[in-house]
Amino acid sequence: MSSWRDLLLRIGDKSPEYGTSSDFKDHIETCFGVLRRELEHSEDEILNVLLDCAEQLPHKIPLFGTLIGLMNLENEDFVRKVVEKTQTNLQDGLDSGNCNRIRILMRFLTVLMCSKVIQPSSLVVVFETLLSSAATTVDEEKGNPSWQACADFYITCILSCLPWGGAELMEQVPEEIERVMVGVEAYLSIRRHASDTGLSFFEDDDETENGEKDFLEDLWSRVQDLSNNGWKLDSVPRPHLSFEAQLVAGKSHEFVPISCPEQHHSPSTLSVINHGQQKHEAELKYPQRIRRLNIFPASKAEDLQPIDRFVVEEYLLDVLFFFNGSRKECASFMVGLPVPFRYEYLMAETIFSQLLMLPQPPFKPIYYTLVIIDLCKALPGAFPAVVAGAVRALFEKIADLDMECQTRLILWFSHHLSNFQFIWPWEEWAYVLDLPKWAPQRVFVQEVLEREVRLSYWDKVKQSIENAPGLEELLPPKGGPNFIFSVEGDRERTEQHALSADLCNMVKGRAAAREIITWVEESVLPIHGLEVTLKVVVQTLLDIGSKSFTHLITVLERYGQVIAKLCPDQDKHAMLIAEVGYYWKNNAQMAAIAIDRMMGYRLVSNLAIVRWVFSPENIDQFHTSDHPWEVLRNAVSKTYNRISDLRKEISSLKKVIISAEEAATKAKVELEAAESKLSLVDGEPVVGETPSKLTRFKSNAEKKKEEEVSARESLEAKDALLARALDENKALFLSLYKNFSIVLTERLPDPSRAGTLRELKSTHADSMAVDLEESAAMEVDNENSRQKSQSNGGRTSNGYNIGEKEQWCLSTLGYVKAFSRQYASEIWPHIEKLEAEVLTENTHPLFRKAVYCGLRRPNNQA
Amino acid sequence: MASLFKDPTKLSAYRDRRFSGSQEDFERALLASITVYVGNMSFYTTEEQVYELFSRAGEIKKIIMGLDKNTKTPCGFCFVLFYSREDAEDAVKYISGTILDDRPIRVDFDWGFQEGRQWGRGRSGGQVRDEYRTDYDPGRGGYGKLVQRELEAQRQLVDYGAGSLGSFPPVMPPQYGRHGGSHGHGGSYRRDYHRKRHRDDDRHGHETSKRISDHESRRISDHDSRPEKNPRFRESGDSDDDEEDDRKRRS
Repeated sequence: MSSWRDLLLRIGDKSPEYGTSSDFKDHIETCFGVLRRELEHSEDEILNVLLDCAEQLPHKIPLFGTLIGLMNLENEDFVRKVVEKTQTNLQDGLDSGNCNRIRILMRFLTVLMCSKVIQPSSLVVVFETLLSSAATTVDEEKGNPSWQACADFYITCILSCLPWGGAELMEQVPEEIERVMVGVEAYLSIRRHASDTGLSFFEDDDETENGEKDFLEDLWSRVQDLSNNGWKLDSVPRPHLSFEAQLVAGKSHEFVPISCPEQHHSPSTLSVINHGQQKHEAELKYPQRIRRLNIFPASKAEDLQPIDRFVVEEYLLDVLFFFNGSRKECASFMVGLPVPFRYEYLMAETIFSQLLMLPQPPFKPIYYTLVIIDLCKALPGAFPAVVAGAVRALFEKIADLDMECQTRLILWFSHHLSNFQFIWPWEEWAYVLDLPKWAPQRVFVQEVLEREVRLSYWDKVKQSIENAPGLEELLPPKGGPNFIFSVEGDRERTEQHALSADLCNMVKGRAAAREIITWVEESVLPIHGLEVTLKVVVQTLLDIGSKSFTHLITVLERYGQVIAKLCPDQDKHAMLIAEVGYYWKNNAQMAAIAIDRMMGYRLVSNLAIVRWVFSPENIDQFHTSDHPWEVLRNAVSKTYNRISDLRKEISSLKKVIISAEEAATKAKVELEAAESKLSLVDGEPVVGETPSKLTRFKSNAEKKKEEEVSARESLEAKDALLARALDENKALFLSLYKNFSIVLTERLPDPSRAGTLRELKSTHADSMAVDLEESAAMEVDNENSRQKSQSNGGRTSNGYNIGEKEQWCLSTLGYVKAFSRQYASEIWPHIEKLEAEVLTENTHPLFRKAVYCGLRRPNNQA
Repeated sequence: MASLFKDPTKLSAYRDRRFSGSQEDFERALLASITVYVGNMSFYTTEEQVYELFSRAGEIKKIIMGLDKNTKTPCGFCFVLFYSREDAEDAVKYISGTILDDRPIRVDFDWGFQEGRQWGRGRSGGQVRDEYRTDYDPGRGGYGKLVQRELEAQRQLVDYGAGSLGSFPPVMPPQYGRHGGSHGHGGSYRRDYHRKRHRDDDRHGHETSKRISDHESRRISDHDSRPEKNPRFRESGDSDDDEEDDRKRRS
């Protein structure tokens, strides 16, 4: 006999707990039979587990609801407790802004209503409470429209309940539910259309989106379809119908009305910036759960009612959320949803929409990598082909895919392939070799191969592309160091070689950093000058640390001071980074790691890294390589990690101080009490209050006081560090945006010719059309001739005909947007300074738009 | 999350017997640890491969490769230290059981690295699990040490003519053969002269053992193309360290 706990957890699954039956009715009866017996002994435990199940296995809510309905027939008191606890939890969710809890408990209530546990009118009261809060929020006068994200969320919750109980509500309280629907419609008419182009997966969305529905409008139309279809849908099991005859006898319980938290009031006239900041905050707190990514053509994907697609997405997202970290359960629930149709394509779209979600997915991208791997193993006949189809479809559209998404897709795909023997039909993509080196498809293939090599090794990846040997051209170099003072072979040996060998011997002889500094300052620098000295020292130390990541760290820890002494300011930092880049020019990974570690040891500043990233040779590869961007991403994220670590430390120190204060006060009180006792019986010491005990109280009080003081001191120190880190952060972003502004202003065509991305994309095509007319006898250089011959024959194989300069601008603008979006929370506090110093009147509209899109700031200048 | 199906008290299936404190101390150490133990690695996997994979869970502070205590070469495990606990948790959640270098690796919380823990605890210098296993694992030096010694003893009794243990066919899953070497199995093609891990010359230099596919042998000297010179001849197991590696007890 299985335990009641397992029966609850496994209800509805194909599992040994339920033998051979897969009928929901059987499951409910079996489970109910056991629960009714156990209720006497373990009532509290059952109550807790049942509610946990409802919240964490929301795709099974209809089964739990029916179960509770049946229990209600025998044990009203227990079910009253279920309802009360649900009310408490829902109120708690509303107060703390726990979106999942609110949404799921509302579904649970709906199902309880279907099982006659609560009255339909109680549910309607919940709807109306949320509706009225939402309407107030978007009211310009009474509320604060910056918080529309919260209001939209409440309305989404109401609409999301209807697939589970729309039919019952319509049947039992038609007028009330009609009133709710009218209310929702009214809300939709006063709220603003949520146009968040900064979060679209595809760059061209912003120009096609006009007239497209936002998430809530879309859900509303799906619900209307559902209503027109007599509230019939396939994706929601309705087990209560099998027990209807019994359930009608159940007593409905009272549901104490809930209340929505006070809305964030604000002065009625918010500045644009203030509005943007609050809107940003609201969207962080009430994030949209999914942005749909339509990968597959309608002909390929499953043909489902819109509302069924919505419900399955809800199921999948809930499983992904609640079974994060439980691989087996996650995969088995994903593939075993309680629906009577297939949904592999929808599942793939949903997972990819999370993996690529902007500004970031709910979990690290590597989680979705794992889920996709597990689903490929769970459904070996079906899922791998769907994943491959998704990759092909995304690859087709990669030129328009957001830059951040491109990076994630590269990391995911290389990692995915590394888990499946690197098998991929590369020959399908061999044509990218005919595309110019800046074509996004070509760059994608090249970067995937780069990451594969990092996860594996060069020869292995070369073997994996045997079907398309030409792609070898896109493999990274074999990756050895570029040590200019190598004494192997017959290379000429200069004086510098000798210096390098001397340094090497000193390091091998375990000379102290101090000795080497002396040697450098006395014997090298005065004779050879800074440039040579820096080259010798940096190249040699890097070479000693070149064998592995650990060798590098060891050398930097031991001899970092030598470098620091030699490179004290930003100019020298920049030279140092350039030298690192030169030494590791054949190995992007080691170059990035070395620069990152140097920033970690504060041998180079983040500003120096920005300067290096914007050096001419790097600017030249902004559109053809991820390398400079990887280094920049590392630098920005390290700066950010410092801030967030300090914030965490400070908040825990504050807690330490509070408890230290309490301990100190308590010790002081004890001491005073002991002292007063002693003085009371002056001359006649009382037993137990001996001088030694008094001393102990005294030392304890002192110790506690000291602890409090030292905690305060470390808080002060951390506060100072945080202030410094925030300054560094501010300087970093200002410098970053200034650099972006300079390089883009130099290269973007005049705004009159390219005011939108679409115009920018077509400028090259236009100029080529002109060229072609005139070019009958014109000489063209190599690179261009290949491209031109293709455009001559119509278009390139995938219609890519964007010129180098235009693609450079598109890629760079894409990164501007990506950085702005990822660090929006850290940039917003400095927006005024940014506007004053960088986004001035003369700013190119495309640059301004990229920044504003990323920050999700309404662009009122466009 | 997912508290319904996981026993939150079970942090790790094994207990390091060299941990000096109580079980409670051990668990506390695991709960706070920012260090993960990575097992079942190929001997040829480099720190940079580990870095690339694990940095997808978060910023890495340090990597410590497990080394054979006799040869000072990697012996199939390592420790990865993160800066944050959350990232270490994600490494355990998301990387354990996935493939690195064609092998399913496992990732567990570790109570914290201490000097000395980088050495293999097996009799022969590597990990204990490589003493006793009986399969042929090209990514981990071929057969287990015990089997290797036995084969060596047999070889001395009977002359197989080849003068090399190359005459013992490795036990390889058949599907790899079908691919004609194009989708190689971990370790089979490993010590290629052009590999990036060539940088690790002085640490990997001894590992000349090699099973070579046709197209590779073209560029590689005669001497190397014979499937032998195996680390299995390296030493005779006179180590006095007889301690258990508790890791082998993991389930």
